[in-house]
Order: sequence, then structure tokens, then C-alpha cells
Amino acid sequence: VNGEIVTDAQPTGADAPPFQRILVANRGEIALRIIRACRDLGIEVVAVYSEADRDAPYLDLADQKICIGPPKATQSYLNIPRLISAAEKSEADAIHPGYGFLSENAHFAEVCRECEIEFIGPAPEAMHALGNKDQARRLARTAGVPVVPGSDGLLEPDRDARPLARTIGYPVLIKAAAGGGGRGMRVARDESSLLSGLSAARQEAEAAFKDGSVYLEKYIDRPRHVEVQLLGDRHGHVVHLWERECSLQRRHQKLVEESPAPNLPDAVRRKMCAAAVRLAQAAGYYSAGTCEFLVDQEDNFYFIEVNARIQVEHPVTELVTGIDLVREQIRIAGGHPLRFKQEDVVQRGSAIECRINAEDAEAGFRPSPGTITRWQPPGGPGVRLDTHAAAGYRVPPNYDSLVAKLLVHQPSRAEAIATMRRALGEFVVEGIRTTIPIHRQILAHPAFAAGKVDTTFIERTWLRS
Amino acid sequence: LDDPPSQTPRPFDVRTIAFLVRLMRRHDLSEIDLHEGDQRIRLRRGGPPMAMSGPSGTAPPSRPPVEQAAPVPVEKPAPARKLTEIKSLTVGTFYAQKEPGAPPYVTVGSRVAPTTVVCIIEAMKVMNEIQAECAGVIEEIVVNNGDFVEYGTVLFRVNPSA
Repeated sequence: VNGEIVTDAQPTGADAPPFQRILVANRGEIALRIIRACRDLGIEVVAVYSEADRDAPYLDLADQKICIGPPKATQSYLNIPRLISAAEKSEADAIHPGYGFLSENAHFAEVCRECEIEFIGPAPEAMHALGNKDQARRLARTAGVPVVPGSDGLLEPDRDARPLARTIGYPVLIKAAAGGGGRGMRVARDESSLLSGLSAARQEAEAAFKDGSVYLEKYIDRPRHVEVQLLGDRHGHVVHLWERECSLQRRHQKLVEESPAPNLPDAVRRKMCAAAVRLAQAAGYYSAGTCEFLVDQEDNFYFIEVNARIQVEHPVTELVTGIDLVREQIRIAGGHPLRFKQEDVVQRGSAIECRINAEDAEAGFRPSPGTITRWQPPGGPGVRLDTHAAAGYRVPPNYDSLVAKLLVHQPSRAEAIATMRRALGEFVVEGIRTTIPIHRQILAHPAFAAGKVDTTFIERTWLRS
Repeated sequence: LDDPPSQTPRPFDVRTIAFLVRLMRRHDLSEIDLHEGDQRIRLRRGGPPMAMSGPSGTAPPSRPPVEQAAPVPVEKPAPARKLTEIKSLTVGTFYAQKEPGAPPYVTVGSRVAPTTVVCIIEAMKVMNEIQAECAGVIEEIVVNNGDFVEYGTVLFRVNPSA
């Protein structure tokens, strides 16, 4: 491998496929995404499925498919013995966990290692170091990465939290150490809501994660959510692939992502990306990962957490950098060094992703599973659609509601918005309710066009009542 | 049904339906009504809708095809037997006996009770003894010793009324 290969990373053809056969321990669009990456690399694929996904069309694109259990995820996609058994019996030499399910489960990565099956993701040690938010925060501080002012560790159950909250300054946020995706969070605006919020948050966290520990931090009003894509190899090299703006969320679930982040000063962008690389290096991180930051209204950024996996919104970065992240993940797991340097990673043009979920946005984003009776996808220049759905496909009620990721890539943000509006206009789905109508409204909103949205925008604009 | 597939596909697999449609066309059948456990496939071809043929579990009477001028002999379907399936509840390797050289746990004709061990499924080097969880006589052993089985693979068919 030489240093001259640039970001439109074409397969060099020089190196042999890193694995002979990969088992995909996931479902839906990301399973299909991984199957495609394996095909591009000339690697055989084993797909696994639960009974709820028996008829999923993407299963036929794998070389082999294995039913691993009933619809319930704990007995299928989260069941480590069945996944390992399927990998052993099909003689897969690696497992790609996708996102969600077991993707950030360090124990699963350890079991894979014991069974001599390569886990396509970071080392379990790095997952341990970053998986607990309290530990991750401490690591960030030592790496010189700014964190949100807070309790510097867990709040002792018996200690009076009021003096600390006064020092941090109200409003404060109570967060579960083991939480995620917005679960186990509470805002306290004064002392009485602090005390009631603490006991409620502890109980919730104990019930949801079997870990009642919480910490306290400054609540940042109307922040933006900006994250940095990282890629590290097993030889100590870490590069960033620039940032993604993911502020458009409802209930802490992302709906629209884009790169570059609009209205982010270039100096801030560079500092944030460099900080993310420092943190990954401090954790001994390899594979793909994401460092999430909150950005306040004065463009100060604060580290929140590392997502130690490929993310849903990874294609946004693929479009602006020309780097296939899933393919690189597989190569890295196979021991190959990165084939580009930091200066080779260029952000070109503007990319936007809209998550098309089987949800009724008008009914508070209520899930809308069912059979798709009509499916007319958009196309044409600048459009990418990652989906496992088709006409006749039944969206099962057992898993998350993502049915498609609609992406556009154009030279400028204004052109990207125009193309996304055109693509959303072409997209016809019948039989289930989807988020397509609310995306049309978002993309037509002056605040979105101006790049002036924060994480509360959707709830303020559409979920007020 | 002269050439049953070696592996029994699931009832609602499109390949099953395509197979049945081909069979109906080849033998010019106008209706197929299959029951297996609590699942059922009923396919009708051409002609006016036909009345249901008796309660489930009894063999439907064979009928001449509606559109044919001359009746064509139609194979009488095998009598519908109510067999209970023992399915794999995990992913692994099927072993019919406790260890190489040992006699198999059960053979066709063996009578089983719900707690009778019928086979072993090895997953992650752990030997899981599988119990019949039904009572009756083994009619069919669907998989071969050493076969890789997935969740839901039918291992045995048991006649509960024998």
C-alpha cells in the first residue's frame, strides 16, 4: 500500500480480500448495505434472519441464509450463542454487527475473539473504555477534548446534589450513565425539580439498564448536534472524515443529517475534528466510529459520546468524501492499514440524508408497520437510496421503523436541498405511513434553508401540542 | 404428488406455492388444500369456486377438472395425516445419537413421550439434548446425522394418534 491513493478509494486490486466469508449479524437496510460491501470486495456473505424477516428480499442476495430464531430480538439478532453457532457452521471468518443489536456489545466482541471469528468493529478494550459515558468523559478530559460542565463522574446516591447544581448553573441535565438514544435523561430547572428528577431518573435507569447510576451536567439550551466520523486502522493511524450535522431529531432520534454542517465556522470544524482524533487515539480505537458533540449558540463544542460502530447516517460522509466506510471497516478488520492520509480526505460538495421511517408523523411519529402496496422510489442525478424495502414487502412490527435512507449529493447546499425536494416529490409509498410528508415540510422550511436549526426544532415546530 | 421435495419448504414460501401451481398445471388439478399443523395452503385454479370439502383432516374427494371435456384421472392425494413436528429451537449440528457408534436416540416407529430425548443439537461445542415435547410414534426423521440445522428446521414428524 502506498500513500498516494486518494479518497475516491477504488479497490486497488493489489490486496487479497481480507476475509473469505462474512456473517452479517443484522437485518434490514444495514444488512443489505454490508452484503453489498462484501460483494464489492469479492467476499462471500452469510445472512441470518429471524422468522419475522423470513421473506425479506435482501436475504436472497447472500450466498447463504440461516434462520436463527423467532421474531423476538433476544432470541435472534441479540442471541450470541446462535449467531456464533451460525458463523461456525457456515465457516464464516468474520462477523459484521451493523448498528444497533450487538454492535456495541464488548462481550460479543470478546466471544468472537475467543471463537477466532473476527468482529468487524473496534477492539473490546476500546469499547469498554468508551462504552460507559462516565469513563468516556474522563478519557476525553485527559485527551484535551472539551466536555460539558458537570459532576465529573457519578453522583453519589447519598450526596446532596444541590450545591453542585448551583455551581454548574441551572438548568441542569440528569443523565443515566448507562443510557443512550435520549433514554434516561431529565432536565431540572430549579432545586425542587432537581430532587424529584434525581430519584425518578435513578429508578428509570435501574429498571431500564439495571444500573441506577446517574450524573449531572449543564443543560445546553437549543444546542446543535454535530458529530465527527472517524476511521482508524490496527496500526495506530486514525483519521477523521469531517463532520455531520444531525440536529434535526425528534425524541433524540435523528431524522435528517448533512455534511458539511451549515454555518459552522471553519476553525471550529477543524478543532472539533482534531479533538475527535485525539480521543480515538487515547482509546486505542480502530474501525469506524463517531464522536458526538453538542454545539452551543456561541459555537462552543462539548464532547457527548463515542458511537463505537458504523452509523445509520454514514452514507452522508461517503458521499462528500468518496470513501466507502463499510468496505474500509472490513479491510481494517482484516488488518490492512488505512490507504489514505488525513490530507487526502476532502469534503466535496454537500450531502443530505432523510430517514424514511414507517411512522405516522402526524400522529406523533407512531410506528406504522404493514405491507407496502406501492413503492415508487426516486432516482436521477445526485440521488442515492439505501433501502431493503420494495412493493409487497411487509415491514415487521418487531424492529425499528427505518425503511429507507434517501440521500442527495450536489456541489452546493442550495442545490442539494433542491434535489432532495425533487426526490421527495418523486417518492411514492403506499400501504404504510412514512416520514416522507414531514421531510417535504422540513426541506421547505425557511429555518432549514438558512441552516438555523437545533435539536429542539422538530419538537418546537411540529410536536408542540 | 409424485415428487415431494426432499426438504419440506415452509407453507407460505413463494417457492412452495410456485411448485404447487406447477403441479396443479401438470396434473390439471383444480384445487389443492394442504394442512400441516396449524398452517394451511389452499389453491384453486380456473372454473367456478368450489365448495369446501368436508371438515379439515378428512381426505377431500377427488373431482374431475371442471373445464375438461373428458375426465382425466387425478391422483388421489395422500390421506391428510395430523402429524406433529419436532422442530429445532436453535442453530447447530444435528446428531441422532449420544456419541459416534452409539445407537440413535429414536428411529422410525419409536414411541416418544414429551420428555423423551430425541436427538442432540450441538451449538458452540455445547451438546443440547432435545426433548420430543409431544407424545406419539416417530413417523419420519427429516434430517440426517451431522446436518446443519437452523431455528425452525423440522427434525422429526410424530404421529400422536398412533
